Amino acid sequence: MGTAIAEQDLDSLISEAAKGEKYPLARIISEIEKPNSFGFRKTLFTRLNGLGLKERDCRTIGFTGTPGAGKSSLLGEISKRFLKETQEQRMAIVAIDPSSSLSGGSILGDRTRLSIPARESRIYFRSQPSQLELGGVNPYTYHVIRLLRFFFDLVFVETVGIGQNEVEVSRLTDYSFLVLQPLGGDQIQFMKSGIMEVPNAFIINKYDEEKLARASFHMLRSTLEFMKEISASGNLCPIFKTSVLNQTGIDELFRFLQDIPKGREKPAETKEQILKWTKSEFGSFGIRKLNDISLDFNLPFEELEERIQKYVLDNVSHKRE
Amino acid sequence: MEKKDHNLYDKEGNQTKDRPWIFRTYGGHTNARETNKLFRENLSKGQTGLSIAFDLATQCGYSSDHKIAGPEVGKVGVPINTLEDFRILFDQIPIEEMNTSMTINGTSMWLLSLYIALAEEKSVDQAKLQGTTQNDIIKEYLARGTYIFPPEHSIRLIVDMYEYCLKNIPKWNPSNICSYHLQEAGATPAQELAFALATAMAILDAIKERNCFTKEEFEECVGRISFFVNAGIRFIEEMCKMRAFTEMWDEITKTRYGVENPKYRRFRYGVQVNSLGLTEEQPENNAWRILIEALGVTLSKNARCRALQLPAWNEALSLPRPWDQQWSLRLQQVLAYETDLLEYPDLFDGSKVIESKVAELKEQAYTEIKKIEEMGGAIKAIDNGYMKSQLVKSQAERLSRINSGEQIVVGKNKWKEALESPLMEGKDGGIFKINPESVQEAIKNLEKVKKERDSAKAEKALQRLRDDAKNGKNLMDASIECAKAGLSTGEWADALREIFGEYRPSTGVEGQKLALESDKVESVRAKVEKFLKENGSRPKIVVGKPGLDGHSNGAEMIAVSAKHSGFDVIYSGIRLSPQEIVQTAVEENADVIGVSLLSGSHMELAEQIFAELKHYKADIPVIFGGIIPQSDIDSLKKMGVKEVFTPKDYDLMDIMDHIINLCLGDKVAA
Repeated sequence: MGTAIAEQDLDSLISEAAKGEKYPLARIISEIEKPNSFGFRKTLFTRLNGLGLKERDCRTIGFTGTPGAGKSSLLGEISKRFLKETQEQRMAIVAIDPSSSLSGGSILGDRTRLSIPARESRIYFRSQPSQLELGGVNPYTYHVIRLLRFFFDLVFVETVGIGQNEVEVSRLTDYSFLVLQPLGGDQIQFMKSGIMEVPNAFIINKYDEEKLARASFHMLRSTLEFMKEISASGNLCPIFKTSVLNQTGIDELFRFLQDIPKGREKPAETKEQILKWTKSEFGSFGIRKLNDISLDFNLPFEELEERIQKYVLDNVSHKRE
Repeated sequence: MEKKDHNLYDKEGNQTKDRPWIFRTYGGHTNARETNKLFRENLSKGQTGLSIAFDLATQCGYSSDHKIAGPEVGKVGVPINTLEDFRILFDQIPIEEMNTSMTINGTSMWLLSLYIALAEEKSVDQAKLQGTTQNDIIKEYLARGTYIFPPEHSIRLIVDMYEYCLKNIPKWNPSNICSYHLQEAGATPAQELAFALATAMAILDAIKERNCFTKEEFEECVGRISFFVNAGIRFIEEMCKMRAFTEMWDEITKTRYGVENPKYRRFRYGVQVNSLGLTEEQPENNAWRILIEALGVTLSKNARCRALQLPAWNEALSLPRPWDQQWSLRLQQVLAYETDLLEYPDLFDGSKVIESKVAELKEQAYTEIKKIEEMGGAIKAIDNGYMKSQLVKSQAERLSRINSGEQIVVGKNKWKEALESPLMEGKDGGIFKINPESVQEAIKNLEKVKKERDSAKAEKALQRLRDDAKNGKNLMDASIECAKAGLSTGEWADALREIFGEYRPSTGVEGQKLALESDKVESVRAKVEKFLKENGSRPKIVVGKPGLDGHSNGAEMIAVSAKHSGFDVIYSGIRLSPQEIVQTAVEENADVIGVSLLSGSHMELAEQIFAELKHYKADIPVIFGGIIPQSDIDSLKKMGVKEVFTPKDYDLMDIMDHIINLCLGDKVAA
């Protein structure tokens, strides 16, 4: 049950989770997902280190796209290959589902399209209701990923959306894919929103109706070639063509996933997430205040969070005096 | 002789009576031997056709010795593994004289193949065989859940059967367009008309595409399409629906398929009247409901059913006993033989009221058919989840009306006080239980056949099945060869699973809403908010439908209601193992697991669920819902089930209130 975890129980939950037990891990994640989880997180990450656990050499990968693009089914196929072609490794999927706006409840349907063999300890799947109207990342998703890095070698974050959310996922993960369906009108949307540069690679999924899919592929490539000319890096990003129905392109994608290079260095990521947190917590006032203090982004997130909180609040009260 | 409008005359002009419809009782349980005994008893009581109920394992393509089959063997029907079971099932029954209806879908081709192999053994010319394999895969995807293969492969099997039957067993109905389960799943009359006719059109289009018939043969083939329809308590509207069906089928076969012979355009249908509206409360009232529903499909001569099977009064409580079935059969006999019903021509021809109602239903149904056609036909409307979501929506609306009291159900939401029913007082408590030991007989028979059969011959037959499946040949011959070689249901289905794959359709629950706002809803939501405040997250419920039972309406309504109340809901559809359901609940750290079951195997599945929870050392509370007899409720609770809901708990918000209390209570205790 999602009852609060007593501090003395935390160590044993962590050790069990490290052994691959799913229920202890699930309980820790629930605790992170609570709104005021700061205290818990602080203890948790301290204890993780205290118990001598280290982040694995983990890759985090974002999968974003419109509803119906087939992200979950594709991840299901990737899971199958993962189980077949790796031995000791473990992978996790965090699927963020858009929620119902009226009553606030939601139906988390991604699991329907992805089945994990019973008692399979090498794959962990977790749904999160999205707290935003159009899908996207939750405030706590980042911290869940931080935790998963201790236990998994590959972590996927699946989100729904068009627009700003892609940016968020790409900030959270080492590498991000935009999953499109043939001529769903998706790419036009993406061009309009001007975020074509954000994903590292594209997947045209449901590449089973040959003609449609090919037209889609060429349209996307010509757009990207245009982007390449105006972009700084000058690289053309990869486009994968996959079909779950015909089982094509998935092996290729899987091999690519295994060789994905590590993304940004840790401090850069921490800095970005701290800025995001500060902005949502204190707005531009908070961001301005950050310029006053020097922060070492090698420090744990919670420590930085605490410092900023204190500094900003102190400054607000000074002002009022 | 002067002819009178109210009399019926034959071709020679003599006054006559209409022939009664075929009387059927849907039956089968435990094993082939017990079911054979039941059939022979029923036939001696005046039943005129057989209607075989198969157990869920047989329906889903698993042999009785498969792990997933375990809890289901012999429960809702007879287990059939090999030809040996058919030999026992039809022992001393003259199959050449029988009209045999098989309620079988995913494995239709296999059961027909067994029947043909049996006929050959008994030296009965297969051309003499008469009957129906239900074989309507579309409603399986939508409502009943015993599909195996993806739609395109399932349709191929159906078309294979049409091709084979037309040439070899002309009196067999290879498939039966089945709207029965659509109504059970919530379909309105117009939806029932539209979805059933769109399904028939999908089958005929596929047959046409194969181009294996001459024009005359194709017409004949259209004539073989029969329907299996539901009849609910709004019996005037239901009668109008039957008239609308008759007219629309005539129009569609004529204009769309150019069938010239009116005989082949006739809408032929069988009926099982509605089980959905039968209540667990004051169950004796169901006897009247069944009578009224039977009138709906017999009153109008022009739209009268060709075969009728009635449920038993106690179906909402458990599987019926032989006596309960006999009581329903007697109703049919009284209606057909004691009353003057069959002496008149159509009673409603010329009625303005009826004509206008029929016209309205037709118009609504044609509009819906057009919508489905624009999507690319019935198969597309399954694949994109459209039909399913429409049904879930209608069902949610129906339940909302009952919950708000707008739709009266006597004894359920009105006039609830009643005297104890003496019908429930028998020493069996008015319910039927199968003997678990006699189920073993099916498994023993299977083992014996496997041991004694010529294994080289069996392997050869199986390989031919795989090869023919791969290279697109008609699979009937290969299947009959498998039947003769002593192969089993599971082996046949597995070979085809290898080639065709397995299918998981849309659950239809995403994006659905309840049209229910009341103080009760508000009170439940307030508790959910309290939970949210105390725990920082919404209560999370995993709704599970374990095992082979595919009747998912209950699970879907719980999922939609929970979302309506503010829960986060995880529902992954039917046919999951208890292991998969518990794994989901564990990974998501769910606050409660809700399990829905109608097949009677709740005890076995509860055991498996608790064993699995123990494996994960997880203490997530479990609740059960479904057709569960009172006597089992206590045992389930002893096992650790926190709450058990049955059909009498129709008030969705009462159920939600119990569930949220459970979630809150657990928090307080811990």
